Amino acid sequence: MAVSASDIRSALSLPSSSTPVQSATTAPRKYQGQVTKKPEGISRELYALIGPSAPSLVAHLAKPRLKQKPNFGSGGKVKWEWRPFRNAGRTDSLQLGHWVKTTDDPDAEYSFAKYNVQSQSYTYSQEEYTRFLEDKDWTKDETDILFNVVREYDTRWYVVHDRYEPPPDSPTRSLEDLKDRYYSVCRKLIRNRPWAGDEASKAQLLNSYQFDKDRERMRKDYIASLEDRTPEEIAEEEALFIELKRLEQNERKFKKERDELLRTLLGIDSGLPDIVAEEDGLSALSAEGFKKRKKNANEIEIPSTPSNIISLGPPPPKRAQSAKSAALDAQNCIIRVEPPASSATKITHAPVHLRSFKLPAPKAALLPKVTQALTELGINHTRLVMPTRENCARLESLIEATTALIDTKKVVDRVEQDIRVLRVRLGRASEGAEEDGKEGTPMEVDGGAEAGADADADADADAEGEVDGRAQSILSTRSGRGRKQSRRSMSVSSIGTSASARVGKRQKRG
Amino acid sequence: MADRVRVRGVTIHRPIIYGNTATVLTSAERLETSHYPDHTHRWTVAVRSATSAPDSDIVGGADDLGYFIKRVTFKLHDTYPNPTRNIDKPPFEVSETGWGEFEIQIRITYVPESGEKATTLYHHLKLHPWSITFPLPNASAVPAEPEIPSPENAAKLGPVHSWQYDEIVFTDPFQNFLNLLTAHPPTPLPKMSVNKKPIPFHSSNPASLEASLKGGVPEFTSAMEKEEADRLEEAKGNIIKEQEKWRSILIEKEKELERLQKLLASKD
Repeated sequence: MAVSASDIRSALSLPSSSTPVQSATTAPRKYQGQVTKKPEGISRELYALIGPSAPSLVAHLAKPRLKQKPNFGSGGKVKWEWRPFRNAGRTDSLQLGHWVKTTDDPDAEYSFAKYNVQSQSYTYSQEEYTRFLEDKDWTKDETDILFNVVREYDTRWYVVHDRYEPPPDSPTRSLEDLKDRYYSVCRKLIRNRPWAGDEASKAQLLNSYQFDKDRERMRKDYIASLEDRTPEEIAEEEALFIELKRLEQNERKFKKERDELLRTLLGIDSGLPDIVAEEDGLSALSAEGFKKRKKNANEIEIPSTPSNIISLGPPPPKRAQSAKSAALDAQNCIIRVEPPASSATKITHAPVHLRSFKLPAPKAALLPKVTQALTELGINHTRLVMPTRENCARLESLIEATTALIDTKKVVDRVEQDIRVLRVRLGRASEGAEEDGKEGTPMEVDGGAEAGADADADADADAEGEVDGRAQSILSTRSGRGRKQSRRSMSVSSIGTSASARVGKRQKRG
Repeated sequence: MADRVRVRGVTIHRPIIYGNTATVLTSAERLETSHYPDHTHRWTVAVRSATSAPDSDIVGGADDLGYFIKRVTFKLHDTYPNPTRNIDKPPFEVSETGWGEFEIQIRITYVPESGEKATTLYHHLKLHPWSITFPLPNASAVPAEPEIPSPENAAKLGPVHSWQYDEIVFTDPFQNFLNLLTAHPPTPLPKMSVNKKPIPFHSSNPASLEASLKGGVPEFTSAMEKEEADRLEEAKGNIIKEQEKWRSILIEKEKELERLQKLLASKD
């Protein structure tokens, strides 16, 4: 203990020693002497009290340092700034802002835009409706309204059911009715539209639109009844369930005990299969176990209950075609088709033929168009390089798809014609109205129908071009003439100006 | 009589090829081999199995088709002596010399066990090398006939091949005929040509012209079948894309029509 005399004197408040020089030197030295280097980890006074060589000191010093606060990657500071951004998933161009690190790439797409997934919506044309979507319970109007609502609310059925508003006379539709109609329409469309890709993927897609109305209703009823149970009922069910489990357990225990008993009584040859490998896998793996199993399987019929290990039962009942004969068939180029069940029609034998004789051909009416379409794609449908069964089938589906396309184009043309007629009639109907109105509608309407017809009053050529285009539909010549007259009045002045301008130019050149 | 029962629901086919090979005769050959100095080519028309035998210098012919074909009759042009050539045993082919291309009628008669009538098919004898004659959009003068190269050039280009793959399909065959057929399974087409032989040219696949000019005896492969399948599938995909486009156009137009109709109705 390093207690110096000066410490004692100061503690006891004694005057300094008699030798003043000594005291003078000690007085400053007192402080100097006292100011020893502060030891690590503990205060100076404590060190003074304990002393340098105490074992507790060592222990104290050896105490591990507390962990520093972990540095979460931003050892340096990160600056954040407010940036406006656009969401690619939005249809309007609303610009919002958010806080983003300055180091972030400014051109990167909004990372949440990709989650804006739209589900596949189905639309159908009038033709398709009349061809295969008719239903006795549903009118076309109702179906149209339903599809619009479903598309609007993204097949969220509870919302759809709420917002679905059929025209006044129709029956009230439950949620299952709506779903049923929607899914059956989708299935019919998938089945009847030409499909790119193989049959398997088509079947998969069809499956995804499965909907069984009765099962749905039953399921919902079950769930509802499940929810509506009173607490007593719930308690009763639980009790029954527990009891059932207990009974099963007991039964299993009894069975095991009985088997064991029998085995011990009758010896190994009791005819019972060995211990099931539930609890004791080791015994099952023993060689003895194997031999016994084989013997038992050969001797006895398969016992109904316990043996679940090896089912060396009779082979599965003969399937229609084993794998071996399928390979043989393929090797021999044999295709088996189901013979038609009804033999009412006299079975005429199809004579031998070359497969290229039976190439699928499009219907005569559309033949030239189909041929033209296919030659554009580089396919010659009269001759195949390798007319195998698969290729012929592919050609057939190709011709089918082409025919459907040509049909659709025809219908489009027809509808286009109807639209033109209607527009003319509308134009005529509002002829009695103000001139401006008439100018307005036919002009803008025609702007849509004939590309390049501008409301540019300076060029005469424009008026001519329009008349040419009009010549196709006879009905519209009347309004065309009317328009031409009005435009001529406008262009007369322009003729004057342009002619004079031209003349002027000529004079200049000359 | 039990054998004469037809096996219902079974369709069995055999792949064959038919066509011809033609080579130019040099002037020396012309004089010595044929009696007609104006014959410029030697050609062979044949009906063979589709698969080529390995290391053979003919197209196809790996299998002997005699087990179900009794006789093949080639009807040549009338200017040939004995134009009806009956071939009663394999190899079913006729070799001749000539100078012109014409249509050969091929009649295949089957063995009596089949109980089938003969099939007739036609093959245009090809002597001159293939060339693309599709009208090019920018070419003003399109040659109506393919240019026939001079004898020297033709000889350089090597033998000309024109073959068509086909399958003879038997439906509901008699039992004994079926047994006969299954006793001779056909050699399947190779996936790719083993010896890198060129693929035969076909007019439905203009792209194959280049490949067929590689030189050497062509060989039929199942890759050709797959290539055609891919072409068909691609065309179908394109069509369906177009179809969907037009369908949506149609739906738009129908909506427009409905709108106009309502507008008209409200005005009246």
